[in-house]
Amino acid sequence: MTPVSGQRAGAPPVRMGPRPGTSSPGNYRWVYLWHWPIRAMHWAAAASILVLVVTGFYIGRPYFMVSGGTTGTPYLMGWMRFLHFLAAGVLVATGIVRVYWLFAGNRFERWRALFPVRRKDWVNLAKTARAYLFIRPREKPEYLGHNPLQQISYTVIYAVTLIMVITGFAMYGQSNPGGLFHTWFGWVTGVFGGVQSTRLIHHLLTWVFIIFVPVHVYLALRVDLLERTGTISSIISGGRFRPANVKYEDDRPEE
Amino acid sequence: MIIPDSYPWELGETLGEHLERRGISRREFLGFCSRLGVMLGLGSLMGPSIMEALAQQRRPSAIWLSLQECTGCTESVLRTADPTIGDLVLDLISLDFQENLMAAAGHAAEAALHDAMEANRGSYILLVTGGVSLAEGGIHTMIAGRPAVEILREAAEGAAHVVAIGACAHWGNIQASNPNPTEAVGVGHIVTGKPVVNIAGCPPIGDVVTATVAHILTFGRVPELDADGRPLFAYGVRIHDNCPKRANYDAGQFVEAFDDEAARKGWCLYKVGCKGPVTFSPCPIIQWNDRTDWPIGAGHPCIGCTERHFWDTMTPFYGRLPGIAGFGIESTADVVGAALAVGAAAGVAAHAVVTGVQRARHKPDEIEKEEV
Ligand code: HEM
Ligand code: SF4
Ligand code: SF4
Repeated sequence: MTPVSGQRAGAPPVRMGPRPGTSSPGNYRWVYLWHWPIRAMHWAAAASILVLVVTGFYIGRPYFMVSGGTTGTPYLMGWMRFLHFLAAGVLVATGIVRVYWLFAGNRFERWRALFPVRRKDWVNLAKTARAYLFIRPREKPEYLGHNPLQQISYTVIYAVTLIMVITGFAMYGQSNPGGLFHTWFGWVTGVFGGVQSTRLIHHLLTWVFIIFVPVHVYLALRVDLLERTGTISSIISGGRFRPANVKYEDDRPEE
Repeated sequence: MIIPDSYPWELGETLGEHLERRGISRREFLGFCSRLGVMLGLGSLMGPSIMEALAQQRRPSAIWLSLQECTGCTESVLRTADPTIGDLVLDLISLDFQENLMAAAGHAAEAALHDAMEANRGSYILLVTGGVSLAEGGIHTMIAGRPAVEILREAAEGAAHVVAIGACAHWGNIQASNPNPTEAVGVGHIVTGKPVVNIAGCPPIGDVVTATVAHILTFGRVPELDADGRPLFAYGVRIHDNCPKRANYDAGQFVEAFDDEAARKGWCLYKVGCKGPVTFSPCPIIQWNDRTDWPIGAGHPCIGCTERHFWDTMTPFYGRLPGIAGFGIESTADVVGAALAVGAAAGVAAHAVVTGVQRARHKPDEIEKEEV
């Protein structure tokens, strides 16, 4: 098994938080949470989802049109669909990486970290949700990795992405009946009650991403500003800082 | 044309002999067989083999049942693009029972049906237009005092091949659409244990019917079918992938309203609800009415009539996506989505404000937290 958290003790803090009692350099440690495949996957997925949403909405409702005659007309819808399918391929690749890393990663990255499995997690889920609603915020449990609310919302996003992928490939397969995608994903339209409802679900679930992204970015900014532990940096550099005096729920058992 | 006995067959005569007697030249017959080969996706080179097989046929019996339907499909079959094809094929079979075309009526007609079934038990081709209703014992479709479903069961039992013509026979059609008060179903729902060929469409293109029958006669078996029982030679490709307006689709040139400039230029009908991207049918290739035109060619979006439950799944016919039940008829996917997104954005903004206020007010909050 991979060693768990890979903490690097004694890394110098770049910037002190405003908090009393944490201002001496030794009181911060840098914790390595996200291996490079997770970070790469995160940003590749972010970019592909951006492309998928923009091109997807064009496919669904061609919102700008080209004028002009029969010569020199651009291949506009053609390009949009090409980009959509290209980004879809990237998204599927990130999915494969993520699934592999569910089993190969450290304890913050493993499949368990996507589900609040233990009883304690459920209690913490309630406490975290309360804290975000400004109710007894002091009871908010601290996590190095994902808190239970994050665990659930990322699991939902992965599930929605999976539905996007299978409904997408089911529609994709239609252009070549009997072909690979038609054979593999033919069952999908049956499950969703026809091609049109499959398409509707693909279209509707797009809004999940449009809603998720701003909320996700806001919460990341918020926690970064409030806690000053370099949370946003962790998805770029792989790690964040931990003040020595904070107790983390997902700390190493022996610590 | 297919008034039975317009060209009486002699007992035991083969098709080859019959055509010769009728004065149809070998060349004509070969031409027909080659076109048939092309239509069936076998290539024109199959013409001679098809001709050979067909020429040896002794006239097989066919029974045509008209059940819960409007007779439109019969009209369509009578208007096959190449009249001789239709003629030949329908003449090829001994159409022993066809309520709309036969002279007999009442008891005489019922007797004809009975006799035909008895005389050719196990070998006749059963053609069915219309579905059956199951509610209350099937009393919503009564023919000669019997529920249609009973007649169908009986006729299918002795049939060698069953061909369901049109959306009603395929899956029940508009009668079977929500809320389906008569519990209408298609032939395939009742007939099990032998392949049912579904010639989908409301109505289907007549040539597809005659080509299917010709295939059965030539090869002694039904053509290759897709997952929904439709012959692949006809329903194997999407309209969207064969549409002459596809270039406009790819270029991003769309009709926005039926009388706009784009419509006059003949651009793609995607934005006015064309279901070509989800519909499998040979309309763009075989076309309608002697190959003069077809719906999209005439500037009307495809409504997806060859797909099961199209009245429920392909509506609104002039909108791209289905409406969302429970949100009012006017709601489209995007209205609901946009409302949720605006709600989420407002929530984020409000949350940010409260966070800021609390932080300004309760600095001690954090200090306390640090001392834990
Ligand atoms: C986050 C992921 C995705 C988003 C946000 C997204 C978004 C969309 C949207 C909004 C549409 C238009 C639907 C309509 O109104 O008809 C669409 C169409 C489509 N998407 Fe996606 N999509 C995603 C992933 C995928 C994937 C993984 C595939 C896999 C190949 C895919 C394949 C398709 C196809 C085939 C269409 C229909 C294109 C056509 O009609 O030619 N999508 N997508
Ligand atoms: S008119 Fe319909 S079938 Fe033809 S290209 Fe446009 S969307 Fe596709
Ligand atoms: S174009 Fe579409 S709706 Fe019209 S007949 Fe063909 S399949 Fe049916």
